[in-house]
Amino acid sequence: MTTTPSTPDVAGPKDPASAESGSDSAAAVEASRAAGVADDVAYLDQVMAEIDAEVRRRRASGDLPASLERELDELFLEFSPVGLQGKAKLRETLALIDSSAYVDIAVPTASNKAIGVYIKKTIRKMIGWYMRFIADQIIKMFWATSRMSHVLVEHVEELEADVEAHRTPDLPADVVVPADLAAAWWAPKAASACSAVSGRVAVGECGTGSLVEVLVAAGVDAYGVDPSDLALEDAIDRGADLRAEGVLDHLEVVADEALGGVVLTGAVERLRPNERGQLIELVATKVAVGGTVVLHSTTPEAWARSASALVRDLAPGRPLHAATWAHLLGGRGFTVTETTTGGAGGALAHVAASSPDAGAVNAAIDAVNELLGGPAEYVLVAVRER
Amino acid sequence: MTAVHQFVPALLPRDATGDHTRALRDALRAAGFSSDIYVEAAHDELQAEAIYFEEYPARAQPGDILLYQLGTSSPVAEFLLGRPEPLVLDYHNVTPEEFYAGWEEHTREKVALARAQVAELAPAAVLGIADSEFNASELCQLGCPATEVVPILIDLTTTTADAAEADRLANDHGQGTVWLFVGRISPNKVQHRLVAAFWLYRQMYDPDARLHLVGPAVTSDYVEALDAYVAELGLADAVRRVEGLSASQLTAWYEDADVFVCLSEHEGFCIPLLEAMAAETPVVALDAGAVGETLGAAGLLLASSRPSVVAAAVDRVRRDRDLVDHLIAAGRRRLADFAAPATAARFVDVLCRLDTERSQVA
Repeated sequence: MTTTPSTPDVAGPKDPASAESGSDSAAAVEASRAAGVADDVAYLDQVMAEIDAEVRRRRASGDLPASLERELDELFLEFSPVGLQGKAKLRETLALIDSSAYVDIAVPTASNKAIGVYIKKTIRKMIGWYMRFIADQIIKMFWATSRMSHVLVEHVEELEADVEAHRTPDLPADVVVPADLAAAWWAPKAASACSAVSGRVAVGECGTGSLVEVLVAAGVDAYGVDPSDLALEDAIDRGADLRAEGVLDHLEVVADEALGGVVLTGAVERLRPNERGQLIELVATKVAVGGTVVLHSTTPEAWARSASALVRDLAPGRPLHAATWAHLLGGRGFTVTETTTGGAGGALAHVAASSPDAGAVNAAIDAVNELLGGPAEYVLVAVRER
Repeated sequence: MTAVHQFVPALLPRDATGDHTRALRDALRAAGFSSDIYVEAAHDELQAEAIYFEEYPARAQPGDILLYQLGTSSPVAEFLLGRPEPLVLDYHNVTPEEFYAGWEEHTREKVALARAQVAELAPAAVLGIADSEFNASELCQLGCPATEVVPILIDLTTTTADAAEADRLANDHGQGTVWLFVGRISPNKVQHRLVAAFWLYRQMYDPDARLHLVGPAVTSDYVEALDAYVAELGLADAVRRVEGLSASQLTAWYEDADVFVCLSEHEGFCIPLLEAMAAETPVVALDAGAVGETLGAAGLLLASSRPSVVAAAVDRVRRDRDLVDHLIAAGRRRLADFAAPATAARFVDVLCRLDTERSQVA
């Protein structure tokens, strides 16, 4: 619990004696007041930091799924004319346009007085030709607009049908096991790349959070995000700064250029093309100039060999080659400073050194691994130049 | 001494701009200025205090200064642009049209016209007086040659809570936390975000909480969507919309609330923040528009209106008595900055200086 700073009471009527003491006294009052306001601001900043921590704790505990707030917004859009969703709403709106696309020139002539009815009817008759001429043009314009709306709706429905035909079932969340990244071969590389970074470093899809702890131990001001809140619990209990949300959701709410660096792993291998573009855009916006991106991924070849059948069939996206990431990041102002390959997934293991001809056999195994498998993973370090 | 005549599109009783205009007229008269109020329309109760704006040319005197209370579109703007007298704008802000796009075409067109009029008036004025730095910066960007920030004239010391209303609300209060927001039901006030945060708050912290939305409905489509959203979230019994309260009844609603929550995305000043402070109701508000500068350090100012953050902030207010006491004390100090006599004196001072400068030039 924070403590309330001492704060001056409400300024009362000015004391006559002090009123005579002139501008020095006024300046002192103003200085005292400014100090009081500074105390207030510091206290409220501390309260807000505690509220932020409470929200993070709730997210990590599973009370507050990352998708819930988005679903609340989407629900309101169901009722909003600015966020019409679904075929039914489109058709409903189209019907509204059709029903409005007529201008009635038969002006009502009812009146409380008989003379009123007569006058209104006379006026209607006198200007009927004029109104009809104007109304005809307006109705033609409405009809053209209505026709265009029908054409657009039909196109949209065809596109929706095409998209639906190519839709695959979602990849079950439990197929992706949160990784314990502290022991990964590339963890020291990530720590080294981020060690000189100025500002906070976000680790996207941080798994159990152990990589965040490695980075923090290396002196990096790191925190992590991962959609699997259960995986984060132990590391949170140990004091790590972790949030239960997806990397895209998280980066969207980070202030521009607020991060010194980003470490990306896991999700980058299975993002949809549009999500991949969104991720690059967000990283380019949220990482400050001079900041660092560390990107780890399985190679496409190793992924094809080692990923489970379910993942290969249902993952919405595929891993990219390191050169492709370098190209994409380069287009958004990053320069790749280092690419390192590693990992042994799917490779043939060496024979024991005690075996006869172990040296020659293992050299042959290395050659076969290189020819058939190649490196299973890579880590790429890029710096934002502009 | 010169005359400073005010022009206002509509002079209404129990209306912030109407009260401000009348209080400023009284202050100007007390300072020795001649001052009348010219209007496009006036409420029946105030007909005796208003003169139709097209009558001004027949009454004009050399040296007159014209002060326009600018907060909506009006033919008065065109009229003033055609006048030779020096023009002062008292700018209360106009909601940008994009907030109404898709919701209410008529309102969108009206505010678009109002903002176009602001853009024409700003460079034509000799001075812009703004309720807030936020409003002043808009005037500057539009080419206003000089600006002064003087808050709206509002006297919060005279209104006391209606006893019968207070008793009724106290009987209905129950155990749950009562949230309050006061403002017209409108897309820029984003009451739907408030409802989302309130729903989450009930789920996570206080299932008996209730939300009171006080204010007139401006955009019917938005109100319909809001009501449907409330019903879909199962909050029909927990969310209450009220309008048409008298000042003393409104004070009772403020005093009944446990927290005033404002997630409005566009405010040129936000008087309800001051009203909440006056009723000693702690404030939780989104830092948008002029909200931050009006609130000062007298409330919890949120950087985001994400429901989880809003709900956690309200829960903190509910649980932390020290924080509530702190906010109430800070609110009292902040209110002193907006005391009506001091504000009136600042207005008079600004206009006296303008009058002096113009006399010297002449």
